[in-house]
Amino acid sequence: MQIGSHYKKLTLLSILVIAITLIAFTGKNSLYTDPYKLEYPDYFGNRISIPENNPTTKQGVYLGRMLFYETKLSSSKTISCASCHQQKLAFTDGKTFSSGINDMPTKRNSMSLANLLWVRNFFWDGRAKGLEAQALIPLNDPHEMGAYMEKAIIDLQKTKVYPVLFRDAFGTPEITADRITKAISQFERTLISANSNYDKYLRGEYNPTEQESNGMELFMNSAEPSKNIRGASCAQCHGTPKMYMELFHNNGLDSIPKDKGREELTGMPNDRGRFRVVTLRNIALTAPYMHDGRFKNLEEVMDHYNEHIKPSKSLSVVLQNRPNEMGGKSLGLTAKEKANIISFMKMLTDSTFINNPAFSNPHLSQK
Amino acid sequence: MKKHYVLLILLVSLFLGVFSQNIMAQNIIKEAVVKIEGEVLKPLSLSLSDFAKMKHVEASMKDRDGKAQQYSGVAIFDLLQQAGVTVGKELKGENLTKYLLVRCSDGYEVVFSLAELDPSFTNRVVILADAKDGKPLADGIGPFRLVVPDENKPARSAHEVTHLIIRFAKD
Ligand code: HEC
Ligand code: HEC
Repeated sequence: MQIGSHYKKLTLLSILVIAITLIAFTGKNSLYTDPYKLEYPDYFGNRISIPENNPTTKQGVYLGRMLFYETKLSSSKTISCASCHQQKLAFTDGKTFSSGINDMPTKRNSMSLANLLWVRNFFWDGRAKGLEAQALIPLNDPHEMGAYMEKAIIDLQKTKVYPVLFRDAFGTPEITADRITKAISQFERTLISANSNYDKYLRGEYNPTEQESNGMELFMNSAEPSKNIRGASCAQCHGTPKMYMELFHNNGLDSIPKDKGREELTGMPNDRGRFRVVTLRNIALTAPYMHDGRFKNLEEVMDHYNEHIKPSKSLSVVLQNRPNEMGGKSLGLTAKEKANIISFMKMLTDSTFINNPAFSNPHLSQK
Repeated sequence: MKKHYVLLILLVSLFLGVFSQNIMAQNIIKEAVVKIEGEVLKPLSLSLSDFAKMKHVEASMKDRDGKAQQYSGVAIFDLLQQAGVTVGKELKGENLTKYLLVRCSDGYEVVFSLAELDPSFTNRVVILADAKDGKPLADGIGPFRLVVPDENKPARSAHEVTHLIIRFAKD
């Protein structure tokens, strides 16, 4: 009798243990059953990059948003990603060069963070493969955020909110550099801009003005004077509804570039002065322009492409000999045509994107 | 005493040797190569001088203005054979789902199915050209470019080719 009840107790106990572990496990798994649905128009295509070990979840995206706006990640506790990537400016900062810790200027102009889900090689020279790898660079840069990662991890671990958020997103409250970059990347993948007037036009909901229409045509076409077709060849590089193709080109800014661009990475002379063709979405909001912020406004950009292309061995073939007039030397657009192309570029401004509360500073709404 | 001299001379020459090597390294410009990789038995990395030793054929294509242009280079089929790609007799079954991804230094990419490049399927010879009218290719075009005859658009005749990558079409 004695032995029998012992066995009963033991069985009961083991059932209890199994039940608890099961509950614990399903509880843990439920964290990952909240996938974040990335919504985007079909015309963007599905060539997106999400690493298998970092699926996009609601909890991960929220944590990433908190971290994106977290000044505790910098040694001075004043700089966050959002210092140089502000939502109201389509995640740029309006400066020629950004300043991080100690007001040290960055080497290049800040970049807009929109539709990164489709980008494969990040930065102006494409040197970072994937968002996870990219995020480590500003965090570990002594001038951008003060190379504060290791200490920031200790600081965050001491807070009330972060261990809970990390547990929600990754299963345990442990904070690591890997988890920080994963969460930030998840948030960045949600920064999708697809509701500009141009998108509405593509969906058949917007009628472009005469100027916008003419600008769009010039933007999309290449000049063929013999057939009386006028064009500016912009779409050869900034084409497709994403408004860029992932190519590296020398767009004629300098004959002898101070910043060698992609050549620094590859060591190949044909890469001299080559930079990534960036998206023109929200371009009216992201001045100044180019990798070194040399152009203050879109008028200066148009003057460049129309009249000031600088020859060099690595100048893109697309920008050589595309005159609109028979025998012309430069592109040869009229002042009105240049203004029309700018009207078209302004169609790419997406006010839904820059006002989306899901992308705003979550620390403000908490207080 | 003598021993010391020997040691000194040895050290000085060692120093000079390392130093001059550094100077040399700075002066060498990286040589452009085209790499053949992916589903290959033997990955290749070929420079212009390797190319010069290979069998050349001619191919012509129309440029943007519709004018015929004559190029010389190595047949893609020969390159694939050398790298041990499943062409010829082996191009059947699942191997028919393999494709060639051509990648260029500016990031431009185009694809061909293997059957498009194999003489048992087609008479059209696509070449990787290294010369036009007996001269090396121009900046921005060469040192290697693809020449795809008989296409209405020159878009697949890619410039500045750096990689030929063989892959399976999955899902
Ligand atoms: C001090 C200003 C500064 C801070 C802080 C900063 N960035 Fe940037 N960001 C830049 C600049 C400048 C570039 C372009 C740099 C280059 O190309 O070399 C850039 C580029 C990027 C890009 C590349 C976009 C593309 O299309 O390739 C991403 C993504 C990015 N930053 C995300 C972040 C994240 C995430 C953080 C926070 C962890 C961050 N940045 C913090 C200035 C900053
Ligand atoms: C040969 C490819 C090519 C063509 C054609 C081209 N661009 Fe660009 N564009 C680039 C590259 C590359 C950059 C980045 C260059 C840099 O920063 O050094 C760029 C940058 C820009 C920028 C600045 C983006 C930013 O965020 O700072 C604007 C605006 C722009 N281009 C507009 C145009 C317009 C308008 C046309 C047609 C008149 C055009 N582009 C034609 C390659 C091209």
